[in-house]
Amino acid sequence: MYDKTVRRRRAVLALLVVLSLLLLTAYFGEAPNGRLHGVQRDFLTVVSPIQDGANKALKPVRDLFSWFGNTLHAKSQLAQALKQTERLRGELVAEQAEKRSYRQLLALDHLDQLGVSDYHPVTAEVINKDPNVWYSTVTIDKGESAGVRRNDPVINDEGLIGKVAQAAPDGALVELLTNSSMGVAARIGTSQATGLVRPKVGDPNDLLLQYLPTNEQPNPGEYVVTSGTVTPAYPSLFPPGLIVGQVASVNEESAFKSVNVRPEANLHDLDVVQVLTAAEGTRAQSLSQVALSLPAGQQTAGGGGEQLASTQVGG
Amino acid sequence: MSGASSAPLALRLSVFGLLVVFFQIGVVAEVPVFGVNPELCALLVAFVGLLCGSTVGAACGFAVGLFIDLALLQTLGLTSLIFTLIGYWCGRLRELRDPQAPLTPLIVGVGASALALIGYSLMEFMLGVDAPVSFELLRQLVLGVLVDTIVALPMWAITRRVLEGALPEDPRRRRRRRAYTTGGLSPLSKA
Repeated sequence: MYDKTVRRRRAVLALLVVLSLLLLTAYFGEAPNGRLHGVQRDFLTVVSPIQDGANKALKPVRDLFSWFGNTLHAKSQLAQALKQTERLRGELVAEQAEKRSYRQLLALDHLDQLGVSDYHPVTAEVINKDPNVWYSTVTIDKGESAGVRRNDPVINDEGLIGKVAQAAPDGALVELLTNSSMGVAARIGTSQATGLVRPKVGDPNDLLLQYLPTNEQPNPGEYVVTSGTVTPAYPSLFPPGLIVGQVASVNEESAFKSVNVRPEANLHDLDVVQVLTAAEGTRAQSLSQVALSLPAGQQTAGGGGEQLASTQVGG
Repeated sequence: MSGASSAPLALRLSVFGLLVVFFQIGVVAEVPVFGVNPELCALLVAFVGLLCGSTVGAACGFAVGLFIDLALLQTLGLTSLIFTLIGYWCGRLRELRDPQAPLTPLIVGVGASALALIGYSLMEFMLGVDAPVSFELLRQLVLGVLVDTIVALPMWAITRRVLEGALPEDPRRRRRRRAYTTGGLSPLSKA
């Protein structure tokens, strides 16, 4: 009797572990449009209405807990915001004067870049969020039926928050900026030098803008924005000028300069987001199709590597 | 455990497991404590193992992990593998040691949380995450375990309350109870 119990216990464990390993191996080895990914998308389609309902039902509880945290931070944020407003007011006056001539020059030299206006924004609600350090993702209630496709940029009123990783008919998975697989081509303020924004794994409140030239002199508090198209060969998926975050500190320990970036959007408190979908026949759509045709996870080496890598992993 | 007696337990586990998973991804995920989120699902699996034994613990861990992987579009099989091991080991702890100390759930919770967080990290590195790893990761792991320690006792109380009445009878506990009530193990009975 004892032997039988022991054998059954061990058999159950072995079966479950082998099953998990088989799933892991098959999933990891297949393409994003493979069978297991398809099963996940179908599952999301089935459970997304339940998640949506649960999300709405649990919102008061979530708001109650968030209220305490937000109240604690409000005072320090107010002082910071007042200081920032003062600084930005001065910058605005100077920028407005330059803006007009800058636009005229761009048009004259045919350097107009892909802008937000090239995209069709689809508003979506966040129905759940994965808290894991390794998977900074949220699920939204809009999918392929609303025109959402893989790799579409996702923003909210504060700036860029991520991109669509997978799309099901009635829902989609959004990888946040802090997800370990994300990379965004970006620059600091009005600087022309671009770098690659990557997450710092294990620190969900910090990003790293890497590969900046050593002669760059970033200052804490400066805005980091998406660089958009930098070279015709390696166009970026994200339109230029979307706010990513603010420079927190500068590191100079390697051949390239890197800066710590504090994300502008509060990624812990996302309720409503906008997916920038590509309308038919626009340049944004052709870019999106190019990105989809690229093999996933391909790494590059050499001088232009950062920009290509950023295109492939998301930027 | 016979099929008839396991049906109420399976029903309670399914409903409770679903509620905990939805609570985790709907509320807990959006309310960080000290910058980290408690791992209620790992605690649930550990406590189910501690209450119901290794087989039920492993099965519950696999089911909860698979549901999370499917619902959050994560790497399929990763969470289920880690949770299966957590459920099994906590169940074996009950079967081999049968710990009765009041702080047992706390220690089991800490162990399960550490196992889940370290397991995730190791698996992700083995699967080839290409990202710089900072000292912050260690801080997050330590903070995660600490936060899970705080919620371990309430989670244990809720899990035990929900499963009470449907738990499998442990023959060893039954023998011990009988021995105490009949004086079989009392030193006075030998006088």
